Amino acid sequence: MSCSKSNLVSPYLDKEMGADETIAFEAHARGCSRCAQKLEELRALHSAFSAVQSHQAPYGFSTRVLARAAELEKKKAPWYFAPLFVRFAEAAVLLVVVTLGILAGNAMTNGVPGRMAVNMTASLSLDLFEAAPPGSLGGAYLALMEAGNEK
Amino acid sequence: MMTVRNDDDISHINRFKEGDPSAFEAIVLKYQDKIYSLCRHMLGNAHDAEDAAQEVFLKAYQALPRFQPDASLYTWLYRIAANTCLDHLRKPVFESLFGPSGEGEGLVHDRASEAPSPERLYQSKQTDRALQEGLGKLSPKLRAIIILKEIEGLSYEEIADSLAISMGTVKSRIARAREELQKVMKKFREQNPQ
Repeated sequence: MSCSKSNLVSPYLDKEMGADETIAFEAHARGCSRCAQKLEELRALHSAFSAVQSHQAPYGFSTRVLARAAELEKKKAPWYFAPLFVRFAEAAVLLVVVTLGILAGNAMTNGVPGRMAVNMTASLSLDLFEAAPPGSLGGAYLALMEAGNEK
Repeated sequence: MMTVRNDDDISHINRFKEGDPSAFEAIVLKYQDKIYSLCRHMLGNAHDAEDAAQEVFLKAYQALPRFQPDASLYTWLYRIAANTCLDHLRKPVFESLFGPSGEGEGLVHDRASEAPSPERLYQSKQTDRALQEGLGKLSPKLRAIIILKEIEGLSYEEIADSLAISMGTVKSRIARAREELQKVMKKFREQNPQ
């Protein structure tokens, strides 16, 4: 049969009791053989641990950790994990670039009068480009297709 | 929650948050031995201890920007370390690895004298083996708590903070861990008389 105060042995040994509690437990342990015996057993266990050494990190440990941290830094989250203000800033820059492009395009066609504007529009037309060079395999294929369609 | 603060730590954390890379290095250098030692005692071998300890610092590196300065960096790192080791120990392979150690892998080292007597060396070795046997038989949670208390020397409050458990749980687990450890060590000594 164990003593109802045996649960106080560990906190007593670890000095985790208040002053009053400590005095009361010591008085109890003097008259309780079970608690006194448990206290001795736990003291023996505690002294066995006192011979256990703390280990030192192996040589180069911090260098290896810092290298891995640097790798993490390189693989930092893609743009959609970036903070909200960064994403807003990126979207704003994109909007400005697109708007400027449209305005610049309009200025090129609207701002130039008469014959120059016609020439400019014509120079941008895709009709200037051959679908395939005449002597090429693609050109021969297209000629055959056109001939077929005419029939 | 424990509020023991260390001015050095606060300075390192603030510098880290401001983007100073040397601040993290200072944290690693300051705590590497403590964290490695905890992992080494929890996992029982050097190789896994280094893996786990590296993992602890990398988790800390990623979480430091969110670290609350009113908490203790020391117990916060211990919490990450304890959880990392518990995760490692949940892998079944560890049960077989945490057996009696090989040469040079023991827990107990006689620091009392440079050249211990053969009898003392034998006793030390027996204590070492009994402790290892005992720690190996404890559940990971009890093992963590007894290591933090008996080897790392943390107070109940620091342990509660490190393992995110109540003071009542700390008291009951420490008592249970000691009881189970005593039983296993007693049995081991009976089977291996001096």
